[in-house]
Amino acid sequence: MAANVPTGATEPIINGTINLPETTNGAMSGVAVNGTSSTTVPGLSADEIALYDRQIRLWGAQAQERIRSANILLVSLRALGTEIAKNLTLAGISSLTIIDDDLVTEEDLGAQYFLREEDIGKPRAAAAIPRIQELNPRVNVVSGGRLSDLIVRDQTFYAPFDCVIACDHDSMTLSVINTAARFANRPFYAAGMHGFYGYIFADLVGHEFVIEREKSNIVTPIAFETLTRSVLSVTTKKENNGKNTEIVKKQEIYCPLILANTSPLPPDVLGSRRKLKSVPALLPCLRALFDFQRTYGRLPGHTSQDLVVFTTLATNKARELQLPSETLRSDFLRSFIQNIGAEIVPTAAFVGGRLSEDVINVLGKREQPIQNFALFDGDSFEGRIYSLYSAPPEIAMATAGLDGTMPMEGMIGMPNGMLMTNGVGNGLIGSNTPAGVSNGNAADAGMVFRPTSAPADGTGVVNLD
Amino acid sequence: MQRRDRGIAQSLGLPLTKRVKESRVLLVGAGGIGCEVLKNLVCSGFGSLPQYYGGEIASEISDMRRPEIVVVDMDTIDLSNLNRQFLFRKQHIKKYKALVAKETASQFNPSVNIDAQSGNIFDDKYDVAFFEGFDLVFNALDNLAARRHVNKMCLAADVPLIESGTTGFNGQVQAIKKGVTECYDCNPKPAQKSFPICTIRSTPSQPIHCIVWAKSYLFPELFGTSEEDSADVTVTEVDNVEEVAKLRIEAEALKTIRGLMGKSEFAQAVFDKVFRDDIERLRGMEEMWLSRRKPEVLCFEQFAPSMDKSEDVVERGRALAMKDQAIWSLAENLAVFSSAVDALSNRTLASPGTPLEFDKDDKDTLDFVASAANLRSHVFGIPLNSEWEIKQMAGNIIPAIATSNALTASLSVLEAFKIMRGASFEQKGVSKLTISHVAPTHNYMVTNGKEGFMLGGSKMVFLNSRSTERMITTQNLVPPQPDCAVCSPVYAKLRIPSNSSATLQDLVTLLQEKLGYEDFSIQADVGIIYDPDLEDNLEKGMIPAGYIKAGNGFLTVVDEGDEGRVDLVLSTSFTPNTTEADPESGLQLMPEEISLPSKHKSVAESNGQAMTTTEATGDASKVAAHFNAKRKRDAEEEVVGAKKRAKADEEVMVVEDDGAILLDD
Repeated sequence: MAANVPTGATEPIINGTINLPETTNGAMSGVAVNGTSSTTVPGLSADEIALYDRQIRLWGAQAQERIRSANILLVSLRALGTEIAKNLTLAGISSLTIIDDDLVTEEDLGAQYFLREEDIGKPRAAAAIPRIQELNPRVNVVSGGRLSDLIVRDQTFYAPFDCVIACDHDSMTLSVINTAARFANRPFYAAGMHGFYGYIFADLVGHEFVIEREKSNIVTPIAFETLTRSVLSVTTKKENNGKNTEIVKKQEIYCPLILANTSPLPPDVLGSRRKLKSVPALLPCLRALFDFQRTYGRLPGHTSQDLVVFTTLATNKARELQLPSETLRSDFLRSFIQNIGAEIVPTAAFVGGRLSEDVINVLGKREQPIQNFALFDGDSFEGRIYSLYSAPPEIAMATAGLDGTMPMEGMIGMPNGMLMTNGVGNGLIGSNTPAGVSNGNAADAGMVFRPTSAPADGTGVVNLD
Repeated sequence: MQRRDRGIAQSLGLPLTKRVKESRVLLVGAGGIGCEVLKNLVCSGFGSLPQYYGGEIASEISDMRRPEIVVVDMDTIDLSNLNRQFLFRKQHIKKYKALVAKETASQFNPSVNIDAQSGNIFDDKYDVAFFEGFDLVFNALDNLAARRHVNKMCLAADVPLIESGTTGFNGQVQAIKKGVTECYDCNPKPAQKSFPICTIRSTPSQPIHCIVWAKSYLFPELFGTSEEDSADVTVTEVDNVEEVAKLRIEAEALKTIRGLMGKSEFAQAVFDKVFRDDIERLRGMEEMWLSRRKPEVLCFEQFAPSMDKSEDVVERGRALAMKDQAIWSLAENLAVFSSAVDALSNRTLASPGTPLEFDKDDKDTLDFVASAANLRSHVFGIPLNSEWEIKQMAGNIIPAIATSNALTASLSVLEAFKIMRGASFEQKGVSKLTISHVAPTHNYMVTNGKEGFMLGGSKMVFLNSRSTERMITTQNLVPPQPDCAVCSPVYAKLRIPSNSSATLQDLVTLLQEKLGYEDFSIQADVGIIYDPDLEDNLEKGMIPAGYIKAGNGFLTVVDEGDEGRVDLVLSTSFTPNTTEADPESGLQLMPEEISLPSKHKSVAESNGQAMTTTEATGDASKVAAHFNAKRKRDAEEEVVGAKKRAKADEEVMVVEDDGAILLDD
């Protein structure tokens, strides 16, 4: 059994004196796993059980206790952040720290329903926090200060949080937060929305979770299920109704956003014409949008020039993803561009709701999390999830027998010496790490952090094939 | 256009944004999904027409046509709602949901008009004319009966309905339009879950059997009305006739014991009857235990050493009953049983005329059922459960979380955008006043060259939380089932002055003359009132006989002739003014022209269209199977089965068992 399990070697070494949260909850694996940070929590009170009755009946008291002890960092409180703040506060986390010091505008009032007209001109988080707090007095809802301060913080800032969520920002800002959270071994979610369209990205570093299902006649093997997911253990229990339930402990390993953004589609999609055809044009469009923002420092407008530039970018991204040429239709492109920058509540409710559900499950260590890029199209009712995974450099290099250091020039906003030197994810190296996913990633990673002088045609992007 | 509308206007475009703002929509239910739908509607600007519109002052627009969100909910707020119904706070507990929901949501967008009504959607005032006033209806309900009722009202009013439901991580949204899509009742719902009487009374093997025994047999026999009325338990083919007869005698004996209520020995008498005497009788039936473990006899006296006086037991039981997370020991269950019997006896004696009913939120009744069920479980060697777990099974509590409601409600409103964008969407709001009335075109079924493209591209959508590949699964909408008893009839209206002396004969004559009926029958709420061989009622007045009621009455006209035209359902109401009425009887059919196609023709036509595809499986037969097999007693439960099938092609076979046990409403 053990032969099939990723055999981690060392615990992650974190700079400084930050205490790691309890990590693995089983002897099966030495992989660093995100855990809730507090020590022992007393059981739920009768009041809490009464308040959270309907959700405890779904995920159990143990998961609720983990949720109750969780501290969450939320960066950006626009339409998506509003939904996420609402859902996590209702669920009963310990604390929600919100960072958004942008000033409230009249446009914000349309979809950010914790804001009122009298808030115009005030910092967003500060204005909304009292109304979020009303949803659940048991949760400590606080402002986390300024975004400009956040992006120069190192992992010590992130360590107290059990999960870090960043919305709406460009890929650069998201990656800075992602990287720092990763060094603190903290799960990271990113999300964005444009009118009917939205995405969720997850980098949970390494995450162990349990799923319960009715036992079938087919034995669940202790083995890798995908490039990133493996079964660690299986136990069974008999239910009240006489049925047998199988409790399967699994693990997912992740890569950061900078790698996901240039990763190819997973082999099962690339190998199937049908699956490849069904990849929505939203995926290359979102990648093109990240590139556009990086190059121009803004979102594309509705000018013909921007349209041409964006279309070229999107076309390149579709080609890079090996999508059939018919995927990127002009009517979709037009609709996507039309929606860029718009906030509507139903989309925010879906994307923010689905992200919250994932976060709650990650805190409770239950259920399959998103691996790693989810796309939502509220116009055509599509909600695909793709594993856009490339092994992080430290894994790639270790697999290749390198020494685990790598000069990274042109890094902006990254604390010195943070990158690549501390071996986060060493535990992820397993004998089963598939070959072929590790080439070229370090170079890709560097790309994202280049100063914003890249040509707009996307030629600066390394192709993985 | 205010600057706060920028996002919605940019995404939806100006024409649709205008439609949304001018719309008049009904939201039925302000609970888990309802709060989220209301937030989405308010923030998207539904019913937010400015005070001045096209020269008309909003206050002058008729109440029935004003752009507005009308919310109807009869419930009050409970503590256990607050984990997901985010428009409510602790200080709102016991207040009406609809009113508080309006109060909170109004602050999200001051220009929106919300009319909150704390009423029951079955009330007479919510008649067909009421439903006709809306562009769209959203169902955000928690029970089958109300869902079916609103479905029928929307069919009669020819208003599109967006139906939704959640359970646990699952959720489902379905758009319904008369003559275009399947209706909620197109797929029959299996009868509610019921157990054979012998399983419950003689051979239980699971905790649920003991819970049903305590809740549907022992409790009503002692404190309520008899088991005969319970739908949880039925005499089935597998039941042994002789055994059933003996069980009747057993129940009779219990009624005698009921006479001891209020006396100190009552609890012991009940206990010894059901856990000692009845079990001893069962043990004697050797053939019953050939392949089963014999039940163990319990005797009240055997606990005597661990108890002092019965008073103390009652006190101890009360204290124990507070620990509803723990699994009580046998002695603890007995203590809780004693204290619950004591409390329920006092209540019964205090108001002898009113039988008690089990209610999961009535602690005394729950204590009784939990302890009695556990004692019986012990007798039969079945694992005991905590009261908290028993509450879920006995009360049919469906797990509910904020995120599933948010996801489902978001899909409901995205569906609304689709329907309203549909080519022929006919606005019911202000535009009816400002433009001349145009007869409904009924071409919601614009095909757009795509199979299954209906209602502007609306789809049946399921949440798919456990999939690694999809957050949602969709299916194309399907044309109506041609033989659906609810949506295949033609719906029309029958009006009558409230003081009319019209008789059934007048209606029969009207139907014969106007619609050419020959052999036909008429069914009212009270049953069949007329057919070719039933002429007894002809001279009865329609109103005095109760055939026509003020509110939500329906008459169904069935053509019994060889040609067999489709059924005609007449929604009945009182005529607002009598000037246009038929001078003879005052009965008036609306519309004037009613076309009733032949049943056979309609079946043949529809069969050609009744193909369906699914994006998830690409397998039409699978979908058909799921459609026929599902439709349990509630949309909540439907989701589980539907998703199991829809996901069959995925690499991880997901089995979801967090759905509730189906017992009753």
